[in-house]
Amino acid sequence: MSAIIHYSALRKTVHDRLLLEIDSLEIHEHACVALSGRNGGGKSTLMRIMAGLEAPDSVTLTLDGQTLPWRRACQRMRTHVIYLHQQPYLFDRSVTDNIAYGLRQRKVSIAEISRKVSEALDWAGIGHLQLRNARELSGGERQRVAFARARILSPRVLLLDEPTANMDSEAREQTYRMIKRLKEDGVSILLATHEFHTVAHLCDAHLSLESGKLHAETVDTAGAERKIIPYG
Amino acid sequence: MDSLSASTAESFRLLFSGDAALWVIIFTSFSVSVRAILIAAPLAFVVAFLMAHLRYRGRRTMIAGFSALQSIPAVVVGLTVYLVLSRSGPLGDLQLLFTHTSMIIGQILLSFPLLVALSHAAFQAADRRVWETSVTLGAKPARAFLTLIHEIRFGLIAALLAGFGRIIAEVGCSMMVGGNILGYTRNIPTAIALETTKGEFAQAIALGMVLLTLALLLNGMLAFFQGRGVMSS
Repeated sequence: MSAIIHYSALRKTVHDRLLLEIDSLEIHEHACVALSGRNGGGKSTLMRIMAGLEAPDSVTLTLDGQTLPWRRACQRMRTHVIYLHQQPYLFDRSVTDNIAYGLRQRKVSIAEISRKVSEALDWAGIGHLQLRNARELSGGERQRVAFARARILSPRVLLLDEPTANMDSEAREQTYRMIKRLKEDGVSILLATHEFHTVAHLCDAHLSLESGKLHAETVDTAGAERKIIPYG
Repeated sequence: MDSLSASTAESFRLLFSGDAALWVIIFTSFSVSVRAILIAAPLAFVVAFLMAHLRYRGRRTMIAGFSALQSIPAVVVGLTVYLVLSRSGPLGDLQLLFTHTSMIIGQILLSFPLLVALSHAAFQAADRRVWETSVTLGAKPARAFLTLIHEIRFGLIAALLAGFGRIIAEVGCSMMVGGNILGYTRNIPTAIALETTKGEFAQAIALGMVLLTLALLLNGMLAFFQGRGVMSS
């Protein structure tokens, strides 16, 4: 598997505290990787940096083999990487308008938007909600709209920040099914969680963020023993 | 007492008979204040947004400054604009004094700090995810800004209404830079002040009723939009 994005020598301090010090982090094609760590350990900050929403103190960023300055990389990444908040924000407009938002930014024709939105509604099983205001939806329904809104842009990398937090078991299962289908579609996924065992069945690899450093972990079949090896 | 009731009756007659002089005054008021608010608001929103989202030296001082400027008396703004636009002032050659333009300039200066302060509060309270979601979905900064404006529209409409309420009822600035010229720069508050000093209460009461109705309407709308703003956040 080739690397889509490679972040190296990534460093981030917050209020003079070193939050992240990562030697190397690669996002490979068609990979689903879990990112675990304790709450407040920097998972969300790392994902926000990876999505270009927050600037690190320093980083060397290589996109498709080309090393780019941070600002230019951010612009380029917008077409490849989509970040979904722990609780996705849906705009105060209809479900259809929410899903079409990204396509409108890309100046896609109205006919094409209509076709793709219809397909995305079917994909997420939310056709019956299309005219509802997105603000009126339940947590699980909101998550499905957010996934459809991201998928319609055909991202190469999806950064999911604890997508099943505060969800009931049924909504959680639905979310897992959507992640699995995205993975089957060839989208690379980085999945932040503080409970790796709940998403282990979806992931090809597991990264653990401890004291600002990344470790690759392997878990034995019983999940009893954990071996941590330096990552990068 | 008889005089008061007669004046009130006359004021109703003036209002509902379509008295041209009265309605020109009302039209002038609205025309000047609406134009002032439409010019001031976009710039105020951009300044408020930058103050809410950028971190730079002097930001707190700037916020405190706009907050303090809200309470600047209208006559002081009027005096400043008068001095700048008067024949001997730096912009005297433009001959703008005692025109709609000078009144609009004065009202822009009056409403701007209030618009910035109130819209800053709305931008400050906006969910950070609005901007981030727009950007991650590919919106350019200008488009993300418009999306943010849409999401906090009720707070911004409340700011617009409060700003409009401030300038439609002010006397000092309009009197000084407009000159209270009949049929041209005379607006509701300056006409009320003049008619009262002349003892002509009928027109003053009629115009007072228009202002009072407007004030009630604006406050009702303000309460509505502020409520919607809270609910939608």
